[in-house]
Amino acid sequence: MRILIIEDDLEAAQYLAKGLRESGYVVDLAEDGNTGMLMATSENYDAMIVDRMLPGIDGISIVEAVREAEIGSPILFLSALGEVEDRVSGLRAGGDDYLVKPFAFSELLARLEALLRRSATTTEATFLSAGDLEMDILARTVKRQGKRVYLHPREFRLLEYLLRHTGQVVTRTMLLEHVWEYHFDPQTNVIDVHISRLRQKIDKPFDIPILHTVRGAGYKLEPVSQS
Amino acid sequence: MKRLLRMFGTTTFRLALVYTAIFGVSVSGLFGFILVTTDVFAKRQTETAIVAEVAAFQEAFQREGIPGLVQAINRRADPNFGWAGIYLLIDAASNPLAGNIGAWPRVSEENDVWINFKIRDVSKAPEEIADVQAQKFTVPGGYKFLVGRDLREAREFRGQLLRSMYIALALTLALGIIGGVAFSRSIMGRIEAITRTCQQIMSGELSRRVPMTRTSDELGQLTLRINQMLDQIERLMTGMQQVSDNVAHDLRTPLTSLRNQLETALSQTSDGSPQSLSIEKAITAADKLLTTFRSLLRIARTEAGVQGNLEELDIVSIVRDVADLYEPLADEKGLQFETRLSPVQKISGDRQLIAQAFSNLVDNAVKYTQSGGKVTIVAEQDQGLSSFVVADTGPGIPPEYRERVLERMFRLEESRTSPGSGLGLSLVSAVAKSHNLDLKLEDNYPGLRVTLLFGHLSE
Repeated sequence: MRILIIEDDLEAAQYLAKGLRESGYVVDLAEDGNTGMLMATSENYDAMIVDRMLPGIDGISIVEAVREAEIGSPILFLSALGEVEDRVSGLRAGGDDYLVKPFAFSELLARLEALLRRSATTTEATFLSAGDLEMDILARTVKRQGKRVYLHPREFRLLEYLLRHTGQVVTRTMLLEHVWEYHFDPQTNVIDVHISRLRQKIDKPFDIPILHTVRGAGYKLEPVSQS
Repeated sequence: MKRLLRMFGTTTFRLALVYTAIFGVSVSGLFGFILVTTDVFAKRQTETAIVAEVAAFQEAFQREGIPGLVQAINRRADPNFGWAGIYLLIDAASNPLAGNIGAWPRVSEENDVWINFKIRDVSKAPEEIADVQAQKFTVPGGYKFLVGRDLREAREFRGQLLRSMYIALALTLALGIIGGVAFSRSIMGRIEAITRTCQQIMSGELSRRVPMTRTSDELGQLTLRINQMLDQIERLMTGMQQVSDNVAHDLRTPLTSLRNQLETALSQTSDGSPQSLSIEKAITAADKLLTTFRSLLRIARTEAGVQGNLEELDIVSIVRDVADLYEPLADEKGLQFETRLSPVQKISGDRQLIAQAFSNLVDNAVKYTQSGGKVTIVAEQDQGLSSFVVADTGPGIPPEYRERVLERMFRLEESRTSPGSGLGLSLVSAVAKSHNLDLKLEDNYPGLRVTLLFGHLSE
């Protein structure tokens, strides 16, 4: 997987590149808007990470140009501007996700993986499964080991999101954004309580837990191997 | 109706009313003077006419005696003569000799020269009563003689004049009031434009300006000055915003790298080692600092009226979502969690800000309420007024601090030990202000009761 990072803060960019390389990605780095634009439109990347504020051409213009050139690779915006209108303008320009600085590296990695996964599976599945856990989205039913599990609507959506990202780390912020559509952090970490409720239903009655906590990052749904 | 009542209360309208009243009184005075003068003039004219005629009759009598007088009277009394006079000549036995009335009128003032009496109008319509003023004489030889004028026409003229005056007075007053209303409405319209702009600016629409109609008059000058003042305020505000944005960008970058370095360090230590615990604590502290910083910036931007994505919001559904988010937390803490949500009117606003405001309120309520307590969330519509209440049975806030807790980073002494940054209610206050919501903190006996009100009672 080849990733392009366009970021003018050299320290941050190198830290990002190092982390991504350690996670198994091939990383190219552009330190200003002009170089970034050139690389983004001439080379093939599986995903791009673009800072909004850049010397030369700004991030929004780069993304607009990339989309105009009909390059469909997922793009993750980085910005110190975290307000909703900035987020909206970034996504409108053609970005796929928006991350506000400062961010934990684990947050960025989780989002990047979610984006890469999304571009790989284009069809919206109506039936999701992970090991012995099954979810029928149309019938709104959940079964584990063939036994029916009853969930509240919000728990259902939470599990649906986790199932769509099976095997990936999902951060609390990602859950807030996608399950509750909140772009702010509540003062108390309420997500943990919702996760623990969900665990009561999908993990506790069964032998092996599938919903795991990833230290310092978030949660991960890991299917039980069938063997 | 309310608009009309408000108009009656305006200074301009009251001034117009006072002016109309003064004008009305002077017009009445003027009319009264005209009426009195006209009366005097009409009376004098009648008397002059009678006196002149009497002189003519005296001449006829002196020349030709009684027969001459009779002849002169008959000539003048002839309806074809076209004279408006009233005449009568009687002899000592009260037999009429000449004239156009049948008998000597019964009058009390026998000794006066001028007499007034009423008679039936024989000549024209018999049922009408003529109102006569006359002069009487005693002619040598026991004859009595009178010359008069019918006053009806003069009276009628006077009546007509009086009626015209009433109408003119009524018209004056009506025009005065209409003029006053129109005048005050036009002035009020311009003042209202100023008020409206001020309100919009207070709610954060800094680019608003008072529309200019005329620049020459006093109001135009006021408008001009207000707009110039607003230009300056806007310049200062945007300058400040620029600074805070720059601070955000400039301070966040080193903070990011600090946090990232800590994260790298963490990945190089083994789980559970004393180093990793210290580093984790440092990361938590950095995160807290950054969150506080982000909240401060968000409040500053909200207070400065930075417009987010405005849309028509069904606040009840937002409140329901927030309640849904916190219900498990309350449940875990052993709190009663009650929601009574009825539909309310839609409000234009920023979904994220409104959600965060309610999230902060419910978060506080859950955080400060002891196990066994109760958190209540209510949404209701009362005519034009929508109200949202988040109430708890926690320790509450003493009345003297209810204003101060809205300030940034202000925390009550008792809650200093609990987690939080003292920014939760500040954000609620900023959001309320930017959305024209009325924020009230009250006693819930026991606990705190926070109410957000929107709209006003129907007119």
